[in-house]
Amino acid sequence: MLGLRTTTIDQASKAGPGPVMKHFDEAALRLKVNARRTTALLAALGVVVTIPQPASAQTAVTLPAPPFELPMLPSPSGNWTVMVGIGGQYMPDFVGSKNGKFMPIPIFAIRRSGSIDQFRGPRDSASIALLDVGNFRAGPAFKYVASRKADKYAELTGLGDVKAAYELGGFVEYYPVDWLRLRSELRQGIGGHTGVVADISADVIVPLIQRLTISAGPRFTWKSTKATAPYFGVDATQALASGLARYDAKGGAHSVGFGSQISYRIDPQWEVHAYVEYEKLLGDAADSPLVKLRGSSNQTTVGLGASYSFDFRIR
Amino acid sequence: MRRTAFLWIGLAAACVALGAAAAFETRASRIQAIKTVGIVSAIGDEMSLTQAGLTGLGNSAQSVSISAWGLDELIVQQTTRLLAGRYRVQPVTYRRAAFAAIRDSVVTPVNLLRSDPFKELVRSDITPQGLDAYIVITRARSKLGNGRSVEGVGFAEYRTLLANYGLIHALYEVRLIEGKSFDVIEKRAAAPLDNTGTVRIGGPSGQVDDTFDVPAANERLRAAIADLITRSLPVTLGDMHLIDGQ
Repeated sequence: MLGLRTTTIDQASKAGPGPVMKHFDEAALRLKVNARRTTALLAALGVVVTIPQPASAQTAVTLPAPPFELPMLPSPSGNWTVMVGIGGQYMPDFVGSKNGKFMPIPIFAIRRSGSIDQFRGPRDSASIALLDVGNFRAGPAFKYVASRKADKYAELTGLGDVKAAYELGGFVEYYPVDWLRLRSELRQGIGGHTGVVADISADVIVPLIQRLTISAGPRFTWKSTKATAPYFGVDATQALASGLARYDAKGGAHSVGFGSQISYRIDPQWEVHAYVEYEKLLGDAADSPLVKLRGSSNQTTVGLGASYSFDFRIR
Repeated sequence: MRRTAFLWIGLAAACVALGAAAAFETRASRIQAIKTVGIVSAIGDEMSLTQAGLTGLGNSAQSVSISAWGLDELIVQQTTRLLAGRYRVQPVTYRRAAFAAIRDSVVTPVNLLRSDPFKELVRSDITPQGLDAYIVITRARSKLGNGRSVEGVGFAEYRTLLANYGLIHALYEVRLIEGKSFDVIEKRAAAPLDNTGTVRIGGPSGQVDDTFDVPAANERLRAAIADLITRSLPVTLGDMHLIDGQ
């Protein structure tokens, strides 16, 4: 723990030249309003500063810069961090299924060294924060929804295929405090479904120690009729072919759930993580004969993964 | 039909490659043409005090004045020393507060599309004019934790359930501005000195120890910040191809 001492600034000022004392005296006056918190921080300034030398600070590989640079984009010269890894996820065969499947998930990311890994939930869409004011971020979001092939699962026999869907939209997220994230996404489907999907989630993010973080929170999803019907509706033809009753699936509250994840950074290079996401289907999705007779409204996804990060340098 | 499409794609690719090559040539040749430079530094008047991680509601960053530490003078001195082998560095005068006051837009695309705000300031505020280029060093910003921004010189406390961690940082970015057109030839934020910390800040930073409580702490804190700057400047200027690589 940092030793938070109250006398340090005065002591430090005495040791330094005159103007230093003046500035810290002024600062002390200014900061009296938030006395307790600020005193702790100011006192920490007096703590002797030693920067431990890192175990392996050197960048292993240096690559030459490409022979061209694109206008408006920054030069690629500098240090970069690559993260590679492998993960796996056990998830329902399709939304509403009572059976599950295991899917390997490759992990790959490249970023400028020192760029910060922002907290990310397993259900988050791919997104870019074009607006970032510290505790509030917003920008476009994209999610790929895999196709549903009727011939792959016996429960889907006679229901026909649903093509892959591409959901485009935006996200906003807000951190009222550093350890609480509120996030919302709104996306319009193209392809397999042409409806609207809204996700709302909250995550309490608790760093237990520097290396170990756990997070958990509730989720809620709303889908329009056009986003629900292709997956849960049964038309006359499908009813005949599948033996299920005809069903007209409408939009509305789609699911409510809870998710949790844990990540542990073994060392600066290696990180492992695991997560669980539980989803209870609601409304017409839960009432669909596909779910009621052949599936389940309880949907659980469990995942884990490990990644390795390394640096390279472009000059 | 398909052949025509391939031809168009090939033509477009060639145009992009030629345009990109031309852009690179321009940047490299513009740097090579520089003989005289002036250096502006405006990062070191204030130290921010930030808490991140498990913090309470309404926790906002504070700051204290550290202008007496002379960090900007140190930066100018160090940069002058590093560039002296290749350029003739001339002293310049400027209003430090004016340079320190400029901030990036929070809407990221705006920063890409708008004219760099330092162009006009270099044109209007620096004496003497007419040098080949000006190197402008100002505060940079990074994230700490999830919802907390830190910038410039500062001390941050990252709080977890079981322990708290102290970090110091000196986040800055360097612009190379052409002295006649005032175009930004190159802009680069100083990178972290290493990538091994588990609490990361996107720039020169280091974890601080808490084992002492001595009167000289103030000076030692300044020395630690100065060390971050002194070690990161050669790397940053090297990445900008202003000095030979470190």
